[in-house]
Parts: sequence; structure tokens; C-alpha cells
Amino acid sequence: MNIDCRYCHTGVEESNYASIPPTQTCMNCHKVVKNDSEKLAEVNKSWENNTPIEWVRIHKVPDYAYFNHSAHINVGVGCSSCHGRVDQMDVVYQVESLSMGWCLDCHRNPAPHLRPLDQVTDMNWLPNTHQIEIGAKLVKERDITPPEDCTGCHR
Amino acid sequence: MIEIKNKKGKQYWKSLNELADTPQFNTFLQEEFPGGTDELPSAISRKKFLSLMGASMALAGLAGCRRPVEKILPYVAAPENIIPGIPNYYATSIPFGVNALGVVVESHEGRPTKIEGNEKHSSSLGKADAFTQASILNLYDPDRAQIPALNGNESTWDAFSEDWAKLKEQYSQNKGKGLIVISNSFNSPSLLRTKKLFSKTFPKAQWIVYDAVNDENIYNGLHIATGKKYQPVYHFDKADVVLSLDADFMQLESNSVSNTIGFSSKRRVDNENDSMNRLYAVESSLSVTGSMADHRLRIQNSQIPSFIATLANELRKLGNNIISSSNLKGFGHYKENKQFLKVLAKDLTKAKGKSLIVAGRNQSAEIHALVFAINESLKNNNKTVSYYSTDEMVLSNKNNLFHAVSKMKNNEYSTCVILGANPVYDAVNLDFKNALTKVKHTIFLGSHADETAQAVNWHLPESHVLESWGDTRSFDGTYSIIQPLIAPLFDTKSMGEFVSILLGNDDTYHDFTKKTFKTFNASNSGSKWRKALHDGVLSGSSYKSKKTKLKASRLAQNLKTYSANFDEEAIEITLLPSNSTFDGSYSNNGWMMESSDPITKVTWENVAQISLSTAKKLGIANEEIITINNGINSISIPAWIMPGHADNSITLTMGYGRNMNGRIADSAGANILPIFSFSATSISNASITGTGTIVNIASTQDHHGMDLERLAKDAIQERLPDIVRESSLDDYQSNPDFAKQYAEKTIEKDGKLPSMWERHKYDTGYQWGMAIDLNVCNGCNACSIACQSENNIPVVGKEEVEKGREMSWIRIDRYFKGDDIDNPEIALQPVGCQHCEMAPCEAVCPVAATTHDDEGLNTMVYNRCIGTRYCANNCPYKVRRFNFHNYTKDMPEVVQMAQNPDVTVRFRGVMEKCTYCVQRIKKAEITAKNDNVELNDGDVIAACQQTCPSEAIVFGNINDPNSKVSKLKEQNKNYLLLGELNLGTRTSYLAKLRNPHPELNS
Repeated sequence: MNIDCRYCHTGVEESNYASIPPTQTCMNCHKVVKNDSEKLAEVNKSWENNTPIEWVRIHKVPDYAYFNHSAHINVGVGCSSCHGRVDQMDVVYQVESLSMGWCLDCHRNPAPHLRPLDQVTDMNWLPNTHQIEIGAKLVKERDITPPEDCTGCHR
Repeated sequence: MIEIKNKKGKQYWKSLNELADTPQFNTFLQEEFPGGTDELPSAISRKKFLSLMGASMALAGLAGCRRPVEKILPYVAAPENIIPGIPNYYATSIPFGVNALGVVVESHEGRPTKIEGNEKHSSSLGKADAFTQASILNLYDPDRAQIPALNGNESTWDAFSEDWAKLKEQYSQNKGKGLIVISNSFNSPSLLRTKKLFSKTFPKAQWIVYDAVNDENIYNGLHIATGKKYQPVYHFDKADVVLSLDADFMQLESNSVSNTIGFSSKRRVDNENDSMNRLYAVESSLSVTGSMADHRLRIQNSQIPSFIATLANELRKLGNNIISSSNLKGFGHYKENKQFLKVLAKDLTKAKGKSLIVAGRNQSAEIHALVFAINESLKNNNKTVSYYSTDEMVLSNKNNLFHAVSKMKNNEYSTCVILGANPVYDAVNLDFKNALTKVKHTIFLGSHADETAQAVNWHLPESHVLESWGDTRSFDGTYSIIQPLIAPLFDTKSMGEFVSILLGNDDTYHDFTKKTFKTFNASNSGSKWRKALHDGVLSGSSYKSKKTKLKASRLAQNLKTYSANFDEEAIEITLLPSNSTFDGSYSNNGWMMESSDPITKVTWENVAQISLSTAKKLGIANEEIITINNGINSISIPAWIMPGHADNSITLTMGYGRNMNGRIADSAGANILPIFSFSATSISNASITGTGTIVNIASTQDHHGMDLERLAKDAIQERLPDIVRESSLDDYQSNPDFAKQYAEKTIEKDGKLPSMWERHKYDTGYQWGMAIDLNVCNGCNACSIACQSENNIPVVGKEEVEKGREMSWIRIDRYFKGDDIDNPEIALQPVGCQHCEMAPCEAVCPVAATTHDDEGLNTMVYNRCIGTRYCANNCPYKVRRFNFHNYTKDMPEVVQMAQNPDVTVRFRGVMEKCTYCVQRIKKAEITAKNDNVELNDGDVIAACQQTCPSEAIVFGNINDPNSKVSKLKEQNKNYLLLGELNLGTRTSYLAKLRNPHPELNS
């Protein structure tokens, strides 16, 4: 379908949270597209009854870790780097461990995981053979110094 | 009775316990947290403890299972302008009597969490006091009245409307005869309009306005002097010499935020060539303002008339044209402190046009009239003080209530409507409760099931100001719109809405307010409204100040007949509002209740302040319960011996001993109002007796003492001048480097201090630091409450405070100085984490829960902390706070709404302390990084800094030589606390200066 992640996750470039879209956003299309699909029952119910959809949270870090989406999106960490190929999942599942060690691997050596800003939401993006050079160039260009101190995430 | 041993020369001491070297003090000195660490509060008190917690703090978490299923509930339809995770800021206004403070409120997804001053508002200028900071907790008070009640039983607004419709019909026919409304004062164009509409609908009805704490004497005084009631607005920023007559203008008097901003601007000294103002304070009880005085005279309140009359005589001798002494005979003659008066008169005259005399609201109208006349002769009027119209203000008039109550007792009223006021509590001396029983229908709009609510038929719940529409004017006329930050949490109405209901007005109060706005903004009303709503002020709405004119003969006539009551031997008892609860409006506010009084350092209750000499004379011990009997009523309250208090004088504070169904308020302190008469704030004919019962007062003054290596007391005395460094302006000019010549000098080797470790270099990127100017800090507590609100600091309860377990991240150390126990000088010092570059706490943590980051922050990682408390033990500044219990566990949901989502809520067994507001730093850094720009100076503002009306706290990047904080740290007055330890602290202090007149010693 190639809908950009940011069509629904509107806060991702500015906020801590990518933000879960309001039902309204679903209905932009689904008022007319496959409106009678069983899979949309929850969405329709929400829209009709004006009650929120209760999404089950899959990606979570502890309350004392203040992960910030915008800080990653704006330096070229792609959605799929942490969330995997969400576009190919029937039901969303967690791909990476989201442990502190996993975070720090990248914070200590970001170059292999960085991409040009215009490809951040590209689900098909894969590091190419020159990734190390491209990554290093991006690190330099945007002065990327990911925090390795506790205060980077814990407040 | 406290016996003072080892009395030495000019020394510093924190409390009488320290001076007397009592066992209590030593316990606190040697054990930072005395008492068992793991015992729970006792069975009965545990229940109380938990319920206290309930009122004041816990993050809803699903505890128990390892991997709980968490649900995310997004909006169905997203509201405009809300991006989850990014707070919005809205301007509104918080009324305080006939003044208002413009504020900006932080809102997280529609939930207000933090109040700041509004830079565009003239009374606030971006700053806020402790009360304003704490009012957010009043919004989330779980004890607020939530639904209408009829005779104590749950009811509905509809039922009330039905009931009222019948009454309304009756009063429409008889034009409101027998109908009385009682409200507090206000200064709001829309409320004024409702009041006028009310009078139009019910022309024979009465609307009585009174405040328990009011400025009536000030207005009446100006009326005597000029023939008109004016609102004075002081310009301390233009005054070189200030005399305060029992006026705590930086704390308890009206417009204190603006006053403090002005005063501190004249107090701040950048270098030895700078000048500073001089403050003379004449008062009975030591006040926040008095603690800043260069010369303080402690005299009984009742001696102030003779003092001011004698000062007038001295001023006349110097050629000032002041009302003749024959007219001031009734004021009495003050015979002591001749030199003080002489020098004061000289100083005031010398600074003609740049001096200012301010009298407190407890002083009589005649005193205020005379003060006006003196300011007039000193050419201060319209220069250091401006006068504004009071025409739009609905002012308090206690006399009217007095008369109304006697009419009530005569069955002259059939319906009494009380709007927001609480006369059963604060007009107890009129026997208001009894008078109410003579009124058939009683209706009350109020936020709590308080004393008045319990005495009426209908109790209708009142909205908080953050839930309401409305408008305010401040003293100088600046107009602000009150806009709601949140829909009413409960089934409540604001005063404006309620009166609209009474009148049958169909407009919503929003529309009503907007229509009022139109009446003075005929053209472009819509766009002006939106701009005023956005800015928080209507530009150009402030009044022009009035040119006042002294009416000399009128003044003389009035003063001639005045007769001051003064009996030197009688013990006067003075009533003041409290620094914590004010008039009772903040009684059920855990933050305020637990904040230690800036002067007495007492929490959780009120005390009878008394001087040591007078306590001795009466045979009263410190913390002994005394009874005060005025012949009719009697009250019991613990005595608190207060250095600096006038002899033969006792000060009591109101706002305690409440019966308001409030879990915080009802257990705290004594109601002292019954012994005062309604119109007076002072009595002198009471009998005072000790009961022999000594109680524990939860005072924080001896807590968290900085005792290096458990030195002997004498050694501490030697070191205290190192901790609070101070000098006089004159000495500073001749010795600009005085602050550098302390302990560290004596142990320097080759010009360097020895160090335990090799220093890590912090020379790249942002390096955070703070400078605190002791010269302007007046200890008002605003920083401490702002910190509590910003950083989710829990309230722990009286029992825990007694054990030294208060959680406040900033404590304000109060030191007395001098050998005169009865009249010492005061030095105040706010102390939070100093963020040592070589932090002793970090070296001893076995789990690396406290470490340094590359921007120089001493960080606290809650999830690593295992609670050994080694860090607190090793902290020389005693700034670490430990969660002995899960203080937030039983916090009701509604109180959780006050929590800042950007800061972790801490659990039992975890250490915490000042973080330099790391959440604000990181937010600013991430935003700047996202925009690919560098942070500018002022982009990161710590919560304490943001609110401080004195601007005593400055925070910023010390790696930028041009930042404000770097510039301050370059000053020669800059010094480090316990600098000899060479810990590389990031917080530094600017030494305190006093500006005594050369002709007055001490």
C-alpha cells in the first residue's frame, strides 16, 4: 500500500511518542474502503460509539526510561530499525529486545544504523555495501553524539 | 526551659536547640535520619499516614505480574493542537483578593500540571509565589465537594434550581427584600456586571463583601488623607531607602511578587562599585521581609503608632513639611532607640523622592494616613509609590458584615447566599453560625464541605479557577481573561456561573465574559479577545495612575481625634495570615502544609511565636502548650520561642484547626480565631498560662545539618561563616575579595587546593551550573514548592517530618547571627544538590546508581538504587532524600493528575535529590538537536529559577563564557559551599551583603 508511517503516527517527528492515531484517522479511508470488513469491526465500533479503540501495547520500555521518538527520527534512525517490517506483519510483534544493552549498542556505534533523513520511514531500506562510509558521513554531518549517560533516558 | 550555654561572640546558629546544645539537636546532627528506618508508622497513625498520602501524591501502574498487558487508548477524534507528549501552555489569571497574578499553565494532554508566572502580566512578570505554585494541588484535592448537597444529603443541581425558582419568584415580587448575599472581595469586570445585574433584579437585596485578611485599613487611610480610596502600588525598584512598618511586603502583604521583583532589583550588587538599597524594618514578629532588613527594630505592634509619630517629629526637625505634632498627640511618644529614629529620619530625607515608607495591613487607617502624609512630604508619592483607582474593585468591608449579622440575628433575612466565603470559620467571633440559624433558607457555594457548608441547607460545589471562565483586573488595572485549563472535574460551578443561575441568565459564563469584554472593546472585539486570551493580558488595559493630593486639614482633623492604645506591660496578641495556609485557603494543600515556614521552620501546624524573654517571664517552655483566654473564649496552642520576636507580644497565625472534611487540614494546628474580636487583628487583655504539656513540633530547622566529620560544636561555629559568607557594602568596597578569604585559603598549597582524585575534564558541550545570590534570597519558599510540583516530590506527613524525612529537594537553611538571642540577624541559604564534579556520593554507591554525566550532572538512577543510603551518608551538603516508605502508593487517582509525566515517580527504598531539572534540560537539548541548532542561554530554565521572584537563582551553561550564570560566577562575591573540600561543585553562591547605616552599629 505504501502508506507512510507518519500518515498515522503523526507525533513521531516532534514528540516522545509516535502517537497512536485517533479512530478518525482510520476512518479517513475506511469510511469508504472495505467498510464492512470484519477486521474493521473494532474500528467501526469505536467510531459509532465514540469510545477509544483499546490497542494492546507491544513495544514498551519501562516507565523510568524516557524514550524519545523525535530524537531518533530526526537523525536518521529508521522506523524499521527498531520495529522491524511492520508492513509485512499480520499482527504486530516485537522484533528487537528493546533492552538497555540493545539501545547502547547503537548509541555507542550509530553509523551502521543511520540512513538519509528522507528514507527514515522506508520499510524496504537495507544497509548497502557502503553503509559504514554513508553512516560515518551522516554522523559527521549532523554531529550525532548519542548520549551514553544515564540522563539520556532516565529522569 | 532552654538554657543557653557557651554563649560566645558573634556566631551563627540555626536554632535555639543548637545554641543550647540540646540532645534533640545532636541527634539530628549525628544521624541524618534518626529513628528506626524500617518500622512503619504505628497502627492508628499508619491509617492516618496513608490517608495523608492520599491527599498529596503514585503513578498508576499494574504491579504484580511480570509482563502485564498494557492498553493504549487513543482519541476517537483528535482534539486540535494536541500532540501527545508535547505539553501546551495557556495563559490565565489567578485572582488573589482584588489583585490577580497572571499565569501560564502547562497542560499535558488537557491535564494542567504546573503553574508559572506570565511575563506579560504586570503583577507577575513571569514569576509566581508559593501559594500560586501550590494552587494546582488545590484543583486535584480529593476532598473537594463534588456534588450538590441539601442538608448534608446528596442532591442535584436540578433540585437546587427547582428550589431556587420558588424563592426567586418570591424575591422578584418583593424586590429582594430579606435576601442577603455574602462574598469575598473581587476585581473582575464580569463579576462586577453580575453583581450589578443582581442589584437590578433584586434592588432591595443586600450584597455584603468581606475578607478575613484584607487591606481595608490601607484604603481607609488613604481616604482620610486624600478623601478617596486609592490602591497603592509600590515601586521598590525606584527606592533607595525603604522603611517597613509591620509590612511583610515581600510575602504576606498584597502584590508580594511584584514587590519582591522590585526590591531585589535594587538589592542586587554586581561589583564593589554598585549601590544597593537599605531596608529598615520595624515589626513585632520576624517576617520574611524583616529577615532581609539592614536594620530591624522589634517592637510591639501597638508601639508602631508612637514610633511613626516620633519619626514624623524627627523628619519635621530636618525641614520636612509634615503635619504638626499637636495633631499627633494621640499616637503617643516613642522614647527608645533615639539614634535609630534620628538616623532613619536623616536617611529618608537624604533619599527624598527615592525613599518609601510602607505600613502593613494590620496597622490602623490613621497610621496609613500618616504614612501617606510622610511619603508626600518626602516627595515619594507618585514616584516610589503610585496610586490607582479602586472604582472597579469590590472591596472588603467587615463593618457591613458586622451589621448584617446583627440583622440576621433579628430575623430580618429570609435567605442568605454565601459565595465562596467561609464566615462560619473566619467570622467565628461574630457568632455567624448562630446567626445563620435565624435565616430560613441558607445557600452556600464553596469548594469544600467546610465549616460554613456544614451550617447551611444547600451546599453547592464550587469550581477551581483553572476550571472556570472569567476575568480579572490587577492592582494597576491590567485586564486578564481567566480561561479554563480543564473542564470541571466534578459537578461544580464557578461563582460567576452560579450567580448567573440565580439570575436566570441564559448565557454561558464564557459568553457572558466575552460580552463584558465587548463593553470596553467596541471595535475589533473578536480579534482583541483572541489576542488577550493568548497573551494572558489585554494590552493597554492598565490604568493611568492617579495624581493624589493630600488634604491637610482633613488629615489633621482625623488624626487629632485618634488615640492609640498602648500598654507596655500588657502582652499583645497579634493575628497574621500563615505563610503556609494564608487565611485557610491552602489548609488542605499538602505541599503548603508540609513546607516549612520561612521563619519558624515549623511544618504541619501553627504555633504561638514568643520571645525568649517573654517566655521566661511567663514561665513558658518551648513547645509547651499554652492556653490563651480572652475572658470569653480560650484556645490552646504550642509556644514557639522565636529569636527576633518583640517582647510582651505573641503572634498567632490563622488557617489552622480546620473542620472542613479535609484529610490534610483537619488534623493540623489550632483554630486561634475565637479569641480575636471580628474587627481587630490584635488583643491585649488575654491571660496566658502554660499547661506543662510539652509536645513535638515538626520543625525542620535542625534537619540536614552540614556537620563535617562530626566536628565539635565550637569548630562548627568557626566554620559557619565559611558557609554563609557575608559582608557589609562598605567593607565590600574596601575589600572586594572578602568572599575568597575563607577556609580554602588556609589549606591551599601553591595556590591550589589538594584533591582526592585527579579531576575529570568537563570542557566540551553544555556544562550545567547554577549561581544563587544570597543577597536577594528572602527565603519565601516559592522555589521549594515549584520544585515539588515540577519533580513529583511526595508529601510525607507530620510524623515523618519529625524524623527528618521531609523530601523537599531544596531546603532553605535559616541561620541566626549574633550574640543577641532576642534580636539576631538572619541569613538564608537555599541548598539543593551542588552537583559536585568529584561527588563523594558517587564514590560510595555500590551499584553505580548515582553517577556523573558528560554535562556535569550528578545523576540519580532510580531503577538501580538499592537503598543503602551510603550516598546520603557521604554527602557533605545533606541534600539527598530517601523514600523510607512508598509515599505515593495510596494516592487517589485525582491527585495523580497533578504529577509531571516527564519525571519518574519514585518508589520505596530509593534515594532522590535535585537533578537540575534534567527533564527540562533534555527536552531543550532534543528540541534544539531536532532543529539542528545550538541551545541559547535561557533555553533551559530550572523550575526553581523560573519562579523565584527575587531572581536569586540563575542556571545555565557554564561552558559559555557569555551566559548569565558564567558572568555571575566571575563575580568576586562568588564562592563555593564547603569550598575547602574541593569537590568542584557546580552550584555556587554569591555572598550576602548588608547595607547598615554607618551611624548605626549592628
